[in-house]
Amino acid sequence: MKKRLLSMLLAGTMVVSMAGCTSGDGGAENTGVGTPDPETPVTQQTYEEDHNEIEGGSAAELVDGKFAETRKITVEVYDRGNDGGSDPTNNMYTDYIKKGMLEDHNVEVEFVSVGRWSEVDDINNLLAAHNAPDICLTYSYPTIQTYADMGGVIDLQNYVVDYKNDLPHLWDWLGTTNMYWDKSVTDGTLWAIEGKRANNNRIVTFVRKDWLDTLGIAEPTTTEEFHDMLVAFKDNASTLLGADADKMVPFSCSIDVGWRAALIIESKMDPNITDKELYVNGFDDRKLTQNGTKEAMKLLNGWYNEGLMWDEFILHDGDTAEDDMMKAGYVGAFMHNWDYPFRGGEDSIQANLKRIVGEDAKFVAVDCFEASNGEYIKYCDSTAGDRKIFFPTTNDEPLASLLYLDWISDPTHIEYLQCGDEGVTHTVLDDGAYAFMTTTGDAIMNSGQNIDMTITCNGLHLSTEDLTRRSMYNNYPPCDPEDVKKADDVANNGKKPAKNSKITTIEAETGMGEALNSKRNVLYDNVLKCKPEEFDAQWEEYMSDYLTSGGQAIIDERTEAWEKLYGDKVTLE
Amino acid sequence: MIRFRKKQKVVVPHKKVDFKLYMKRYWQLYLLLALPLIFLLVFKYSPMYYVMIAFKKYSIVQKVSEMPWAKNHGFEYFIKAFKNKDFLYALRNTIFLNLLDIIVGFPVPIIFALLLNELRLKFFKKTVQTIAYMPHFLSWVIIYGLALQLFTPSSGLVNMVIQKLGFEPVHFLDSGTGWVATYIGLGVWQSFGWNSIIYLAAISGISPELYEAASVDGANRWQKMWHITLPSIRPTIVVLLILALGNVLGSSFDRPFALQNNAVLRQAEVISTFVYKNGIKGLQFSLTTAVGLFQSIVNVIFLLLANWFSRKMGERGIV
Repeated sequence: MKKRLLSMLLAGTMVVSMAGCTSGDGGAENTGVGTPDPETPVTQQTYEEDHNEIEGGSAAELVDGKFAETRKITVEVYDRGNDGGSDPTNNMYTDYIKKGMLEDHNVEVEFVSVGRWSEVDDINNLLAAHNAPDICLTYSYPTIQTYADMGGVIDLQNYVVDYKNDLPHLWDWLGTTNMYWDKSVTDGTLWAIEGKRANNNRIVTFVRKDWLDTLGIAEPTTTEEFHDMLVAFKDNASTLLGADADKMVPFSCSIDVGWRAALIIESKMDPNITDKELYVNGFDDRKLTQNGTKEAMKLLNGWYNEGLMWDEFILHDGDTAEDDMMKAGYVGAFMHNWDYPFRGGEDSIQANLKRIVGEDAKFVAVDCFEASNGEYIKYCDSTAGDRKIFFPTTNDEPLASLLYLDWISDPTHIEYLQCGDEGVTHTVLDDGAYAFMTTTGDAIMNSGQNIDMTITCNGLHLSTEDLTRRSMYNNYPPCDPEDVKKADDVANNGKKPAKNSKITTIEAETGMGEALNSKRNVLYDNVLKCKPEEFDAQWEEYMSDYLTSGGQAIIDERTEAWEKLYGDKVTLE
Repeated sequence: MIRFRKKQKVVVPHKKVDFKLYMKRYWQLYLLLALPLIFLLVFKYSPMYYVMIAFKKYSIVQKVSEMPWAKNHGFEYFIKAFKNKDFLYALRNTIFLNLLDIIVGFPVPIIFALLLNELRLKFFKKTVQTIAYMPHFLSWVIIYGLALQLFTPSSGLVNMVIQKLGFEPVHFLDSGTGWVATYIGLGVWQSFGWNSIIYLAAISGISPELYEAASVDGANRWQKMWHITLPSIRPTIVVLLILALGNVLGSSFDRPFALQNNAVLRQAEVISTFVYKNGIKGLQFSLTTAVGLFQSIVNVIFLLLANWFSRKMGERGIV
């Protein structure tokens, strides 16, 4: 009896919970938009054409750009977890957007925060739960491709054309280049729109100016001079750091060696590298399989074994130990985003250095890694290659969502979101440039130039290029605008922007991104810190593991795809 | 305990009990039981439905029932997993680290409990016990933070001492063997105090008469420990050993994940971290569900084997 009762109870609850689960799977009904309609003819367009030549339509349901009934959309916003930042989903700027969207389009906007440093995990979870925001963004195109293959992403190709007349700012700002960057040449699908880089500065090398001055060394201009400078730092550690001499790190680097030593790695690449080669090996944005990487790593391995680099980098993944060393003044040189030491206002590396070490202490940008032809090449992104915006199939409001993108691409709105109110976030200088102030409370921008709010625009974008540059230098209080200018100048010297291969789908890349990135870092880290005599063996071992784990398959498929599209051509227009 | 006894009293074999009467008397007990049962069903049993993902081609937008079956009669992802050398590494590491954990870590709480039991000073005993099980409440992220402060090659406290004594720094965290030793050592440190509680409870249940009788016969403390305490807690030891063996392919996530780094990934990647990196981060849900299912099945087999073995040895099993 007891047993029967128990089993009845068990069975009963099982049935109830099962029913609950299967109905929870709903929302899969409206997948139709995700799969490309084979009936729709693929519009053959060249991407660099003027968008004014594309004949677009307008939405019938809008009157004066407004919906008759209030629509509701949700928008992803990064949460950077800044110390003392503002609420990413509710601050002065989100209020501005919400108010504007309701007034101009009768669309109610709600922001959904996604961790900046766990974005792919977070979006995976939200998508799997059919709970993703209507407007999603990520830096990772392969992630979008994977969702699209599962039928989880809306194909935007028809929407952007059909509603073109309702989206004037979006088209003007992105142009065909960014709008169609990810458009497939084979079937015309468009899974994502590329946000535009107003500023495609990438990586710059920074060195401690006050240390150079103390030792009477000039700023390095070649790789060799840079190395000699590191040796001088190390040899004079007690002069430079006194009792803390043993804490000195002449050149610091994180576990992401491919990024944090990128300029050295890239300087060993063949400066005449073809577009084809760049593309074929371009799946790894840390240039692991490019032609000069091994030589560069051998050089760095030598430096590591000379004691010029941080010997504990491999134990610190995602913590602030390295930044803390920079702030405390133990680091002589490093390579990072062009504005890295200036970011974060009072908590920036530069401001901390001044506070902790002294008035003269600061990092300055130097340009010293020459390629074999003597040029200081900076491989960088084009206007695309930044954040990719996509609509998951759970988005029932593609038009309202596109109107949102249009609204935040309006130059006046971009300017407000980046500059805020006079007297609160900035003052205007005599020459008309904005000088930004340290802000508090709701007015704090959680990201530089508020890029988290302006998802179609990365980098300061004001009415004129000249005003933008001058204002940009004043964008990092309390850092010296001259230091920012110098970093900007270095970042712009020898820029080589990426070109669009227009090949969007590589089967072998699906689902491999994470595993290969992790293997790449393991390779870089281990060949950096191994003993010099083990370097070759370690390189071979890790590289063969990388290639057999999917790297080679991608290289082969990319080569094939290139040759199919371009034949023997090795250069893009 | 009370519930158990009451029920035993009612259900006399071969005697029909009136259902209504029975329920009228005991419905409160079933109500109490309902909550944990619902918990089990909702969070443990109903997710099992999704085990099907291991045999299907996963799609983020389809219902499980709608997803197409994977190739090779649904076993595509199992084949893929066993061809994946990272998975094989993870499998090897999981077994190796767990066995090492059992060999090194299993006896420690027993010894500790026996020693603690011999202490006469009550205050001292309580203090030692509290200090010993305190680390159990620390998260592994914090323990890794402590490990960094202590064990890093050049700035860690332990290595600074070693260097001051004129020796080469020991690579506790960034060399394979050093890392395994640190991993096992920290695991033992974190858990032995907590795990000893069960043994202490078992020891406190031993009848004092046995000790008195032994004293009368002239047994010393060592003999009492060896011939009375240890045999008395043997059933407890066996049950816990079965559970430990049943988990030899299982792996906690936070401990290896927090402690591992790129220098030791070959030794440190275990199934749980493999599943996280490839499944959750790499979107290969079918593959990693297959791996998880395989892990669970092997665990059940191990559990049953250990159970069968313990019965053969004349001990009570748990299943």
